[in-house]
Amino acid sequence: MKLTVDQRWDLIDKIAKQTVTFGEYKHTLKDAIGELTVKPLTGIPIAIAVMYAFWSVFGSFAGTLFTDGFMVKLFDGRFLPWIQDIFPGAGGWLYYIIVGNPLADNSFEAFGMLTSGLFVAIGIVLPAIFIFYLMLALLEDIGYMPRLAVLIDTVLHRIGLHGYAIVPTILSLGCNVPGVAATRILETRKQRFIMMTLLAIFIPCGAQIGIMEKVIPDTMGWVLLYLIGGYFLFGYILNKIIPGRSPEFLIDVPPYRKPMISNLRKKVWVRIAGFFKVALPFVLLGCGIVNVLYLTGFIDWIGNVLSPVFVSWFGVPEATVGPLIAAFLRKDLAVAQLSVIEMTPYQMITSVVLVSIYFPCVATFAMMIKEGAKELLGALAVLFAVVFLYGGLIHLIGILLGVA
Amino acid sequence: MSERSIADIYFSVLGLITTAFGIADILVTAGGGSFAFGILEVPGDLFRGGWGGFIVLSAGLFYLSGIRNIEDIHPFSKIVMGSILIWIIAGCDIFAMITESIPGGENGPWFNTFDGFIGTYAPPYAPAVLLLPFSLVVVYYIYKKKQDNMSENWE
Repeated sequence: MKLTVDQRWDLIDKIAKQTVTFGEYKHTLKDAIGELTVKPLTGIPIAIAVMYAFWSVFGSFAGTLFTDGFMVKLFDGRFLPWIQDIFPGAGGWLYYIIVGNPLADNSFEAFGMLTSGLFVAIGIVLPAIFIFYLMLALLEDIGYMPRLAVLIDTVLHRIGLHGYAIVPTILSLGCNVPGVAATRILETRKQRFIMMTLLAIFIPCGAQIGIMEKVIPDTMGWVLLYLIGGYFLFGYILNKIIPGRSPEFLIDVPPYRKPMISNLRKKVWVRIAGFFKVALPFVLLGCGIVNVLYLTGFIDWIGNVLSPVFVSWFGVPEATVGPLIAAFLRKDLAVAQLSVIEMTPYQMITSVVLVSIYFPCVATFAMMIKEGAKELLGALAVLFAVVFLYGGLIHLIGILLGVA
Repeated sequence: MSERSIADIYFSVLGLITTAFGIADILVTAGGGSFAFGILEVPGDLFRGGWGGFIVLSAGLFYLSGIRNIEDIHPFSKIVMGSILIWIIAGCDIFAMITESIPGGENGPWFNTFDGFIGTYAPPYAPAVLLLPFSLVVVYYIYKKKQDNMSENWE
């Protein structure tokens, strides 16, 4: 059937009458609150409050309730003595790799694949990423994330990105692997390169944050402050020196909505399953490889070679070199190893910042290879320059403050 | 006295008290200690006192900036937002109490005893928790506004 132009317009009128409501639109309370959350003067305090809630719930749920409340008891009180007892060949190399130190009285200091490895993966990281991704899914489904993107757009333009870069940044706080994958939402190669480099260097993952919260709660704020400072400082520099475009972004801000439980469940499950498939094998394997490297004396050797740089340029004790080298495999375990070394609070801050910035963990590294070898090499070149400059700068700040 | 002026006075007073609590939070944190008086405890740590204090202060300023024309939806939304900020801080404090009350402690049993569980919820409380019941009054006004809008649309 073919309609004439007039018939088409008549049909359009009929449909419009049935589907479109005409009248004066009055702002609802939801609209007005939506406006408050995107205007800088009112939106910034709200964003600060949302971030506060995010970290407060994260700490209470993952730290107080699960890790400290139950997991430490389960692993240190039951699992560790049991596996130390039943695993044969105490003191042998296989025992050292799988179970770790036979005299350790807690899973943190055992450093075996099935002790520290499992404790970190199940006891610390699992509750941390569960609550992290649940909160993130909640913010996405309520409709707050697009508003946060609009709010932070101006700031992120200064470092060559745009508001949506907040998505990979926040995702990376859970695990860098989905964060690197999420850089694909940025339009140009320049933006993707800057984002990937900044994520790999300055954004600590949920596992590392969980460990920091447990072992260095007093200095963690300073570590995060240095990392945030570095994110913006080196983002600004990269934006100036990397050629390419940083286009504006156009975003449709949806109204606030009530989240659906089924959606939340699916999102959290997909993300946690992704973490377990990609990152968990690296936790256990990383733990084993670090132990092999210690056993073969490789870490001691490289520690001796690099110790002049670490001690004189970065201002950290020689004993930190081993954990810093091992951090390539597991940053969270490296922080745990650092926590048992005797040093000043400022040296602790410096060494934990160095663990965060000096190399992406091996799981992130594997993900970066997928994104392109050229990008990876570029990111690594930037990374070495940043570590050297920023590590030295932090040491210099410490000297000037008289605390280094 | 009309209902509007009651709301104006109520949220003005609540705004002033909230602002004062927010400033107290920040000052106590800057001083490096904590402060307790009766059932009130102003936390002195950087996270709850400093960061949280800034949010309580913002809540107070939201209340005060919204009271000029509470009938209009935009100023009213600021009052609602002031309450939401208090709910966020108080909600986090209460959630922290809940997570603390369940496990039995480092050397204790797996789960807390009944006395220990109840004891976690005993005072003193942070300012946001004390402000929480007063901030809930806004729910009544949201409900009332909804009713008014419905009757307007009906007419």
